[in-house]
Amino acid sequence: MRVAYYKGCLASLSAKELDSSTQALAPRLGIELEELESVTCCGAGDIHEAEPDYYLHLNARILAYAEATGCETLMTICNVCTLNLRQANFQLQGDDALRVRVSENLEKVGAPPYGGTVEVKHLLWLIAEGDGYERLKQVAHKGLKGLKVAPFYGCQILRPSKLLGFEDPDRPWSLEAIIEACGGEPVDYPAKVKCCGFPIIQAREETALGELIQPVQQSIEAGADAMVTPCPLCHLSLDAWQSKLEAQTGQRFEMPILHLSQLVGVAAGLEDSELKFKRHVVSVEPVLEKLEAP
Amino acid sequence: MDVALKIWRYDPDSGERELRHFEVEAPEWACLLDVLDIVKDQVDGTLAYRKSCRMMICGSCGMRMDGRAVLACKERMKPIVERGHVPVVSAMGNMPVLKDLVVDMQPFWTKIRTMKPWLDTGYEEVPEHGEFIHSQEEMNPIHKEALCIMCGCCVSECNSMESDPEFFGPAALAKGFRFVGDPRDRTKIERLERYNDEHGIWDCTRCYFCNERCPKGVDPRDAIAKLGAESIRVGIDRDMGAKHAKWFVHSAKTTGWLRETELVPKTQGVAAAIKETKFALNLFKHGKVPLPFPPHVAKNVQEARALHELVGAQGRDGAAGIVQGERALARIEHTEHGGVQRDAPAVTPGEPTPHAEG
Ligand code: SF4
Ligand code: SF4
Ligand code: SF4
Ligand code: SF4
Ligand code: FES
Repeated sequence: MRVAYYKGCLASLSAKELDSSTQALAPRLGIELEELESVTCCGAGDIHEAEPDYYLHLNARILAYAEATGCETLMTICNVCTLNLRQANFQLQGDDALRVRVSENLEKVGAPPYGGTVEVKHLLWLIAEGDGYERLKQVAHKGLKGLKVAPFYGCQILRPSKLLGFEDPDRPWSLEAIIEACGGEPVDYPAKVKCCGFPIIQAREETALGELIQPVQQSIEAGADAMVTPCPLCHLSLDAWQSKLEAQTGQRFEMPILHLSQLVGVAAGLEDSELKFKRHVVSVEPVLEKLEAP
Repeated sequence: MDVALKIWRYDPDSGERELRHFEVEAPEWACLLDVLDIVKDQVDGTLAYRKSCRMMICGSCGMRMDGRAVLACKERMKPIVERGHVPVVSAMGNMPVLKDLVVDMQPFWTKIRTMKPWLDTGYEEVPEHGEFIHSQEEMNPIHKEALCIMCGCCVSECNSMESDPEFFGPAALAKGFRFVGDPRDRTKIERLERYNDEHGIWDCTRCYFCNERCPKGVDPRDAIAKLGAESIRVGIDRDMGAKHAKWFVHSAKTTGWLRETELVPKTQGVAAAIKETKFALNLFKHGKVPLPFPPHVAKNVQEARALHELVGAQGRDGAAGIVQGERALARIEHTEHGGVQRDAPAVTPGEPTPHAEG
């Protein structure tokens, strides 16, 4: 399957490990990536809030470049990109007058117009069911050897379900299915569908940390060896801001946080240079040691 | 049909909580509220819950079923019974429980009142020239927000409110936009100033639980985005949240990609950024703070820049940019299973719906 690949800003900048592991993993899962070069940030909900009409145009431009590749699917690797692009796509697909206006503007600045034919899908959805899932089971031969993994979905891959709609936002199953296919053991905890606080971690740190602590603490209580998330923003708060939680509570957490592509990548035997665990703030060493133990 | 359900009871006198199992005979068309009525009538008269209209308009019967806030009079029991599922019913979250399924809505009303939930036209008596005529188009921007029945379902699972109980919350802020977007109101700036409070617009963590839960399609999170867009449009951008949002716009039109390294000083100011040095250095060590030079620039970024200018001159700035896309979003209908029916036929108000029969 050939897909247009939109990596978003974080995977180009502070989460390069997400991009390298995705690029290495995709061909093994039968996904051929057509990387989009002329695209910008989707705006992360911030441009939607600051200048919504500009948000719509930026996202339409991304969709238009994806359409120009001839692919039916635009693959994302970030929750926030997924929601932003799907929201714009639903608006443009469902309202011809709006799409015509936006397309005309795109053409005026030299970008392709958008015909409304692209579907936006997260990598998670491509490998959680159907052919992708079958391939995943074959590829994950190295296995996670019963590693206990806490799935953390994050908000914007689940809600609002009328825009995302892949699974029940209150009882999701996709990450669990993937953990199992990789030979790991999913652990359950209530905050797996809640917010990590990232969108307000700078403007309202205290409120954000009050949210962030819940999944971290609960997954530790549930006995997890590691957490996995499909979103680089969740990853950033769970991984990089964990030290702030430790400073605040005086507790040691040291909970390793894996990107989805890294978790599957470990099970599929990707190289260190592709997984790039050194780029994490919280060490992933304990997980790797556990997997190497006889 | 035989309906089984479990209810979390709470007795304020003893302070005890208890999960009670009930089984009753109910008609096929029964909703959760009907079943509670039968329980109260036939099994246990001390069960406490609120209700009035029984038709999704008074907003009294908000409660949780299997952890999600719902209107009891909206939830049909038949599909649940057919699945063989025994649902757990409990009181809404983020508000103190008074008894069983009844919560104290006082904090909710206090926040609604903070919004000044009435029209301020700037005059007390009808002016000499008589009435003002407003067109449908002028009122359309607040159509969704005006649908709110103040049931509290959106507040129940609001993640920011769990962490900051003083957060105004989704219902109050949606109410706020209902007046900010009303062409008859003359106090828009004063309102936006008030809603830009520490516990206002920028305290929302975008968890989207409110949009997910609202039984009336108000989409409070979208209303909050509209308030943010209006605030920035009129120049009320002192909040770190507003500065953060503006930096994304600036990044997109200059380099195409988020200029992450400068995000903290641009949002919090240089002094705060220096205070964060130790934290930042640790992130830097792991490549989490990419160097600002040379900036990472997207190919053909001049298109994004030109778009910004072009779009800026077309008059759909502020909330209008969100409102213009709502017609398409409203057409996405839910199926019975909570999934999405993507090719749902369009529904025009006033016309019978295509699937009215059967
Ligand atoms: S959501 Fe984030 S990571 Fe994704 S492209 Fe947009 S800003 Fe970048
Ligand atoms: S909303 Fe208006 S029409 Fe409906 S019950 Fe209230 S007063 Fe009557
Ligand atoms: S916004 Fe929706 S959920 Fe919230 S109080 Fe109003 S009707 Fe209820
Ligand atoms: S999106 Fe904002 S207002 Fe809505 S529930 Fe989440 S934090 Fe609360
Ligand atoms: S009883 Fe009035 S909304 Fe349910």
